[in-house]
Amino acid sequence: MKKRWDIIVVGGGPGGIFAALEAAKKGKSVLLLERKREMGVPVRCGEAVGEKDLRSYVDIDPRWISAEINSFIIVLPDGREVKLKSNIYSGYIINRDIFEYDMAARAAEEGAVIRLKSNVQELILKENGSVAGVRTMEAGEMREYYAGIVIAADGVESRIARQAGVGTALKPEDIEPCVQITASNVRLPEKALYLYVGFCYAPGGYAWVFPKANHCANIGLGINGKYSRVSRPVSAYMENFMQRFFPDASVQRYVTGGVPVSTNLKPLTKKNLLIVGDAGRMVNPLNGGGITHAIYSGIQAGKTAAGTCEAPGKAAKYFSQYERNIQKKFGKNHEHQYRIKDVVYQLRDEDYNRIGAEVLNIDIRKRSFLTVFRHVVKHRPEFLGDVLRAFTGI
Amino acid sequence: MIVQNTLCDQCGTCIAVCPEDALMLNEHALIIDHDKCTECMLCVNICPVAALEKKQ
Ligand SMILES: Cc1cc2nc3c(=O)[nH]c(=O)nc-3n(C[C@H](O)[C@H](O)[C@H](O)COP(=O)(O)OP(=O)(O)OC[C@H]3O[C@@H](n4cnc5c(N)ncnc54)[C@H](O)[C@@H]3O)c2cc1C
Ligand code: SF4
Ligand code: SF4
Repeated sequence: MKKRWDIIVVGGGPGGIFAALEAAKKGKSVLLLERKREMGVPVRCGEAVGEKDLRSYVDIDPRWISAEINSFIIVLPDGREVKLKSNIYSGYIINRDIFEYDMAARAAEEGAVIRLKSNVQELILKENGSVAGVRTMEAGEMREYYAGIVIAADGVESRIARQAGVGTALKPEDIEPCVQITASNVRLPEKALYLYVGFCYAPGGYAWVFPKANHCANIGLGINGKYSRVSRPVSAYMENFMQRFFPDASVQRYVTGGVPVSTNLKPLTKKNLLIVGDAGRMVNPLNGGGITHAIYSGIQAGKTAAGTCEAPGKAAKYFSQYERNIQKKFGKNHEHQYRIKDVVYQLRDEDYNRIGAEVLNIDIRKRSFLTVFRHVVKHRPEFLGDVLRAFTGI
Repeated sequence: MIVQNTLCDQCGTCIAVCPEDALMLNEHALIIDHDKCTECMLCVNICPVAALEKKQ
């Protein structure tokens, strides 16, 4: 196995795969290191992506699509369903395992080398703080690989950036511990994203039901970390939820996971290290979506790394451009979403029920997200400032 | 801290909140560095399946 590479990517989720693909396309030698035994699994994800969003990065292969989604239903604490206007959402529930398999194969075809069961234990740091390479454990054996640029795409745990001196530890209120099952024999009336809101289901978070093909569905629940206790972990909330709504479902897959719901990490670069996706806390803090954020930042990091290999003198310029591109694409947006999240998750179950009842009285063709927020403000005027700021971007 | 490997799903959620970088995953288990750990309990409380507990 070669020791020296132009670029090393740590982590083979969507962020790492797209980074490796992009850098390899530009002719660089790329090594991607992944701890797991198989790309794409386990799928710790609801697998919901916006159609336009995904299409802007890649030509969509029909095999990736498990179900097409075209509506959005909020389920209130009292159990009533509030359907928003049609075409408010156009998206997919994908098969992330197939998607990542395919994209990893493409990266390999472009020349990237993927190494599985390779656990990066630590960075090899130079005296000036820049990264010389990584130390991995592979089948009980310590190995070293060296590169001019390292991309940290190691997901929620984000230890690589931390070792380079970027504080990535999250406060409990900035992460949502989750449990998700993929269930079969789930009959849903609509091809919709179902979100169950309220403390009774998931304090400071929500439960979701995302339909997949063949009467399967991703059913998950995440609560805000500040409410998570060893005496009442998320799995207990999930059990209640399943008992109440899907007592007859069969479980095909059970996973846990953590979703960062903070604002983007700052900085996203350190010396010759670039931070991508969940490792850079790029998830939308309101809805928990992070697949396409990982893809976008992966592509940008791959480009930045390849460009820097060609023109090392421009490293500083390219790296600050990376930072700017990410902040421009969703940094500000996530700051607003973060504030909206605070508003939404402070609502009490009675508030949700009352607001929901009012929205149900509105013609369905007029039920947009904005309408819903107008009613939130009507009931809790103290939120007006936050909601306005969130929508107007001030 | 001790981890019950029969419960742990190796999701890394606990690692994300550990202020001391005392936790890491290897290819098949969560590893706890007892020298770094200050027993702050953040990881114990965040785990979605209560796989961590304080050593008695
Ligand atoms: C329960 C749940 C539901 C979700 N639902 C959705 C959804 O419906 N839609 C959506 O858009 N997003 C969703 N997300 C978020 C989405 O899954 C993430 O944002 C996305 O996976 C981030 O991609 P990534 O490449 O940054 O990290 P990851 O996909 O987490 O990949 C990181 C990879 O790095 C590897 N790794 C970590 N450390 C090391 C190391 N030291 N050495 C070697 N390898 C390492 C890991 O094994 C992993 O494969 C959900 C998340 C969870 C937990
Ligand atoms: S949060 Fe729990 S399930 Fe996840 S890795 Fe830590 S101990 Fe294991
Ligand atoms: S108790 Fe605190 S310091 Fe110890 S491993 Fe858990 S989070 Fe880290």
